[in-house]
Amino acid sequence: MKVTKWVTIAALLFVAVLGFSMSMPHWYYPDAQAYQLDMNDPDVLAKGEYAAIAGDCVACHTAPGGQKFSGGLAMETPVGVIYSTNITPDKATGIGSYSYQQFEKAVRQGLRSDNAPLYHAMPYPSYQVVSDEDIQAMYAYFMKVVLPIQKENKDSTIPWPLNMRWPMHLWQMVFAPKRDFAPIADATDAINRGAYLVEGLAHCGACHTPRGIAFQEKSLSADSNNHFLAGAVLEGWYAKSLRSEATGLASWTEEELFDFFTTGRNARTAAFGSMADVIAHSTQHMTAEDRWAMVKYLKQLPPKKGHQVEFPEKTDTTTNKLLAGDYSDTGALEYVEHCAACHRLDGLGAARIFPALDNNSIVFAEDPSSLIQVTLEGARMPNTPHDRMAFAMPGFQHLSDQEVADVLTFIRQGWSNNASKVEVKDVARMRDFVKIRPSHYVLGSEK
Amino acid sequence: MKKLIVALVVIVAAVFWWQRTPLTDSNPYVFAVVDEEGKPTDMKYTVPDDKDILTQENSEQILYGKRLLNETKRLLPDNVGAAMNCNSCHLYQGKLEYGDPYINTYNAFPQFNSRAERVVTIEERINGCFQRSMNGTPLPEQSDEMKAIIAYYKWLAQDVPHGWQVVHQNTGPIDTSLQPNMDKGEEIYGAMCASCHGDNGEGMWDASGNIMFPPLWGDDSFNIGAGMARLYKAAAFVKYNMPMGYTMNRPQGQGHVLTDQEAVDVSYYFTQKPRPDFPAKVYDWPSGKKPKDARY
Repeated sequence: MKVTKWVTIAALLFVAVLGFSMSMPHWYYPDAQAYQLDMNDPDVLAKGEYAAIAGDCVACHTAPGGQKFSGGLAMETPVGVIYSTNITPDKATGIGSYSYQQFEKAVRQGLRSDNAPLYHAMPYPSYQVVSDEDIQAMYAYFMKVVLPIQKENKDSTIPWPLNMRWPMHLWQMVFAPKRDFAPIADATDAINRGAYLVEGLAHCGACHTPRGIAFQEKSLSADSNNHFLAGAVLEGWYAKSLRSEATGLASWTEEELFDFFTTGRNARTAAFGSMADVIAHSTQHMTAEDRWAMVKYLKQLPPKKGHQVEFPEKTDTTTNKLLAGDYSDTGALEYVEHCAACHRLDGLGAARIFPALDNNSIVFAEDPSSLIQVTLEGARMPNTPHDRMAFAMPGFQHLSDQEVADVLTFIRQGWSNNASKVEVKDVARMRDFVKIRPSHYVLGSEK
Repeated sequence: MKKLIVALVVIVAAVFWWQRTPLTDSNPYVFAVVDEEGKPTDMKYTVPDDKDILTQENSEQILYGKRLLNETKRLLPDNVGAAMNCNSCHLYQGKLEYGDPYINTYNAFPQFNSRAERVVTIEERINGCFQRSMNGTPLPEQSDEMKAIIAYYKWLAQDVPHGWQVVHQNTGPIDTSLQPNMDKGEEIYGAMCASCHGDNGEGMWDASGNIMFPPLWGDDSFNIGAGMARLYKAAAFVKYNMPMGYTMNRPQGQGHVLTDQEAVDVSYYFTQKPRPDFPAKVYDWPSGKKPKDARY
């Protein structure tokens, strides 16, 4: 008797939650607006293409070696692999049959045309703040300019019952609540334009903002909780803090950051991994005004509470030791053997060719994941018209975990760097991780 | 009792967590070894890590040799005329196949030299580099520096007996029947070489005074008597090693980018540029059997 009662209560509760959740698309979001632009106006199409570039849609919606926007890129989640979808205007397999209202709901609200919620690998929590004008122009671009490609979407490998989408409605209400872009009072137009791009289309937070227990970004804008763009690990890459703090952008000048967005490198460092994609497909094609706007916005983000604003000054003793042939520090011998030909004994590399290791913010980042992954797997700079060649570093998987840990510790603590040790088990775990990681987008491989 | 069980479970779980990823050892490069007659042997040669130097009795001497090879211009300014280090050409401290390695050097000398048309000693061969590729003056054969360089070679050869050879190629094949095209060479140089070696072949120094990318022509480059001044030798080097830091080829992102023809074209462009003379060239190939790509 008692058991039956509890089962009944549980069942009723379940039905109530299910019903509430499933009904969400019908009452939670505002009614979509009518389409107001001329879809054949070249200015609208250009604006739409620009928005798609700023949103870097191509990076995720293109598989390695695949056709632009036809989807199929694998993304690792804690519960399985999901694949990006075909967003070409193909009527059968893409979004060709989407009305503007359906398109808008997908991009800004994370709802598929059948009202099923999208996984938040799609950065719709960020896209919420994108303006109606940009979304409408983007719709015109995808429908009128992008080539339709017939390619079926792939199912995710997430097992039942975790693959049920309806609970995501609740997630959306809690973690991606409806909101509009909120300009910063008293800030310049440039800073607010930067905020609009960084928080919205450029969705920088998707990688750079730490995520919480439900894999939600802990903050979607520069509010008081200070988590926004404070640095996070995703797919074994550490996307560094972009706040003005020691391990963030404090060591970067505005000019260096602008140069980085424009060319993928500057005299000290170069983009690699996912950021190389971002430069190659997105930031280099943005207007100089917009790149400056992002710089101005990022550089005014205050440090996270409790984070060091600047590193204490440290005198470089490493260079003179190495020049004098003193290889007694752990990892020094390996450094000279494997790294110094390019990165040099002074750790300064060659400007725009081989990144410096001294005072390079990815080297002294709080979390060494990216440094370890680059060392094991190698990396490539993005190609931009600014430089004649884009350089690359091969992987050093042939070194032992101990050797990699020793040499990276040497690098993180050498010259003026002042970072923590790299542990042998960190290297072992990263080696393990890259083995199972799905193959990611390969720069320049799209057709 | 309950607490004990909980503690045990926690400890076991922690150990499993700690142990779940096995550590990976290094995966060194291993090569076959042949005897004096070129016949296969049971011996395997493993390219040694520099850490192995520390286990040697004369480790200081070997490390000094290694430094001299890496930083020749800065450490031996009186002997090096060009802005060049030994390892500008002998890549990865002489451990790289196709990158003019030193792996067989110690065991191969004394060796017949076709340019001198006689058997030369290892010291003579090293000084050949100092006088030609580095456009400088010879090291005294009994100097600490000469001995240190040879000590590095000896260590690098490991326990391979004298006269035996590691099956490890100094240089890769190139089609020497190809005719160079100067215009194409210039174009390739601008696109693929000039970023590092400079638009005028002037090379690039690092911030602490070591030469980083050697000059490819002009007063600070190798002289006309260097192997690198010969078209097909240069082309083979370029094909397998240049550009550096450009591909995912281990260990230096080197080479395998240009076709034979492109390597010949670009090598023609830089080898034919003005460079220092080598007056002792008159003693080369005394019986006149010059290779077709000699510059004199």
